[in-house]
Amino acid sequence: MPPKPKRKKAKSARRRQRRHYRLVGALVLVSAFAIYLGYLNHLINGRFEGDTWAIPSRVFARAQELYPNLALTREQLIYELELSSYLMVKSEPIPGQYRLLGESLEVYARPFDFGTQYQEARLVQIFFDQGRISGLVDSNSSQNLDLFRLPPVILGSYYPDNDEDRLLLAEDEVPEQLIDTLIAVEDRQFFQHWGLSPMAILRATLANLKAGRAVQGGSTLTQQLAKNLFLTPEKTLLRKINEAFMAMILEIRFSKSAIITAYVNEVFVLQQKRIAIHGFAQASRMLFRRSVDSLETQHLALLVGMVKGPSRYNPFTSPDTAVSRRNLVLKIMFEQGLLGEEEYSSALDAPLGIVDKLPGINPFPAYLDLVKRQLQSSYSSAELARRGLRVFTAFDPLLQQNLELGLTRGLGRFSQPELQAAVIIADYLNGDIQALVGDRTTDFPGFNRALMAQRPIGSLIKPLLLYSLLGDSLTLASKVKDESIRIQQSDGKIWEPRNYDRELHGEMSLYEAFVHSYNLPFVQLGVSGGLEALAENLARIKLLKHDVVYPSMLLGTTSMSAYEVSQMYQVIANNGYFTPLTTIRSVTDHDNQTLERVPLESHKLFDQARMIQVQRAMIGVTENGTAGYLAERFPAQTLAGKTGTTNEARDSWFAGFSSRLLTVVWLGRDDNGPINLTGSSGALKVWSDIMELQGFESFKISRDDSLSWHHINPANGGITRKSCEISVLLPFPKDQVPTARSRCQ
Amino acid sequence: MPVAITPRLLCRVAILSILSVATACSIPHKPPNRYQDDIEVSQLEVRPVTELQNQALAALNGEQYQLAVDYLQRAIKIQPRNAWSWHYLAQTYWRDAQYDRCLAMIERSNSYGSFDEDLISANDRLKPKCQPG
Repeated sequence: MPPKPKRKKAKSARRRQRRHYRLVGALVLVSAFAIYLGYLNHLINGRFEGDTWAIPSRVFARAQELYPNLALTREQLIYELELSSYLMVKSEPIPGQYRLLGESLEVYARPFDFGTQYQEARLVQIFFDQGRISGLVDSNSSQNLDLFRLPPVILGSYYPDNDEDRLLLAEDEVPEQLIDTLIAVEDRQFFQHWGLSPMAILRATLANLKAGRAVQGGSTLTQQLAKNLFLTPEKTLLRKINEAFMAMILEIRFSKSAIITAYVNEVFVLQQKRIAIHGFAQASRMLFRRSVDSLETQHLALLVGMVKGPSRYNPFTSPDTAVSRRNLVLKIMFEQGLLGEEEYSSALDAPLGIVDKLPGINPFPAYLDLVKRQLQSSYSSAELARRGLRVFTAFDPLLQQNLELGLTRGLGRFSQPELQAAVIIADYLNGDIQALVGDRTTDFPGFNRALMAQRPIGSLIKPLLLYSLLGDSLTLASKVKDESIRIQQSDGKIWEPRNYDRELHGEMSLYEAFVHSYNLPFVQLGVSGGLEALAENLARIKLLKHDVVYPSMLLGTTSMSAYEVSQMYQVIANNGYFTPLTTIRSVTDHDNQTLERVPLESHKLFDQARMIQVQRAMIGVTENGTAGYLAERFPAQTLAGKTGTTNEARDSWFAGFSSRLLTVVWLGRDDNGPINLTGSSGALKVWSDIMELQGFESFKISRDDSLSWHHINPANGGITRKSCEISVLLPFPKDQVPTARSRCQ
Repeated sequence: MPVAITPRLLCRVAILSILSVATACSIPHKPPNRYQDDIEVSQLEVRPVTELQNQALAALNGEQYQLAVDYLQRAIKIQPRNAWSWHYLAQTYWRDAQYDRCLAMIERSNSYGSFDEDLISANDRLKPKCQPG
């Protein structure tokens, strides 16, 4: 009789097996769910606890020092304030605002962390007189100030690949009124729910069913944050499920305050060309030129209202819709008791209060490009786009403005649409590159000719060649011959250089040959020893481009960029002291901890007395030489400079300096075609247009006890009378003063 | 033998005195020619620079070398040919044991202040300290 128990046994075995499978299945499901939650949690960890957002690195201009007697007009200061997004008001300003008070200006400077020093917000009244600051007064204490540093302009940012821009707020920086408004408009149960609000979902479902389309959302702020931070905007069931679980994990793991702060920093508010503005802090800066803590009720209502549809409620493209939305938010605020009746009605009547136009994105691309190149040895592009570094540079927005206006005006002289340009302006005493353009269209972000275009420099080489020649036997008064010369090159070919005017000018002083940029005397002297010295001197400043030196180098066939030319002239203008040209002064991290400093460097590479003689010859160029135009245009000023023209007038150069500024201008075509402009007829004119707008002080030669000054006749280098009209006053080493006398003719 | 004090002698003495005073005055303040830097003008005391120098020295005393460098670089930006700012920068680098920089700044300071005996002697005293060993 065994079959019965067997069947029973088999039945219970199957039951056990089924139970077992169910158990295993349940275990598998629970494990899968746990893995799924773990995965979601992992996603949250990756973003919420690490670097939640990619923060663009900001590049700052130099901080404008304000002090009595500084040459600065009120209009220039206003230009700088406008670039810094300061708002002009008629009432008493708050931080980030200024007002006109008679002829003076009252500025409420924003607080700023300079890295080594934190500067509090300060209300300062600035008085002007005849193009200068005549006084500074602290408006609160009525005390006169000797010095005040204006926080610097942001000249650009390095954006992440997703092209998002934001300013982050810490938990304690989010204004309460903003939180209350957000909650009132977007999620009234925020402080009660645990990530999901079943009531809101039910309400939204009923409303949507009634309307026959999606008219209301039931997502909580936490769900919206989860979607924005971790998920795609597509409307699928899976995405909704992920969103719900992520919202719950967020609620379990983080405080309400941390969640609302993250929301305030993450939310997309505005599109500015290719850049998406996220977070209320940056949107507030862009729209109202105000920090988020200084917003008025109507501003706040607009910002919160825009969250529902940044494109639909864009106040620039749809101002009426934006006003309606803002007023709806104001109504909710009033109904929820966040506003009194009076405040509500005055906010309803207020205009939108937005800026006329959003600021441009990176309006100084060539300078920003150079900063990036100089940063690249320490920071990758990805780091620059994510880490929110603060890069402090020497950029001078006022100088840049004059450069751009002057260049546009200068190029307008020539009807050559294909004529390209590169200009660099530097403070040669400390190496600061203060302004730069790399294209005739100054805000064009493409090929940066100031750094990348390597072009022959022509006679711009002559000052360093002159330095290389002066010494034991040669002075500025030495007699040289401008006569034809034939040189056999290493390949056997004959090189027969000529003067630009194709004339021969006979015997003259070395000074005279330099001032008129005659080629032949310099080739003559160069091949008898000067070439090697020139190569050595170029190597000292790391500008010797070839291992082999060749005679045509004496006439500037070496190619350089405007940036390299600027470095060469920095040493010449600075009495032989080499200071590396730089844009960057320091870099801090997002928390203002200094990461890097670029110290002021100074290396004595050349002899000062000899360099002074070169400088004097360069002044001669601007007085009555190839750049004599400067003496006509700026008769009261002393300048030093040198023109450069290359074969068939393909490149037009001028490099010149005043008491502080070194400006190098290059003109040419990208296809290297002739431009029919010499250094004198092209670059020099543009240089003058820029410098006229900028204004400058005369270049003065440093005093040097080893030199004595004498009047000579430039035609023959002989000592002549002071009263002689053709005489020039030149410096000589005390043991090399010319002895020959010359008549005044 | 006593010298007779004649009006002619008195005149000669007076003229010689005037000439010697004029000569003595002209040695340190020899006017530059039109191309040269007028030292007296370029070294004129500028109040914000003095303020920054004082703040730098206070930072230096507090061993806040980086802050001192910041103040001095600002002073140099305002008045780059002020030889004392370069000297204080050299001092800061010496205190911060950056000896090569210290020497470079002394050199630059001397180039702007060759007429200032106090400065030259301050730089001369500092120089050996920046050449350890």
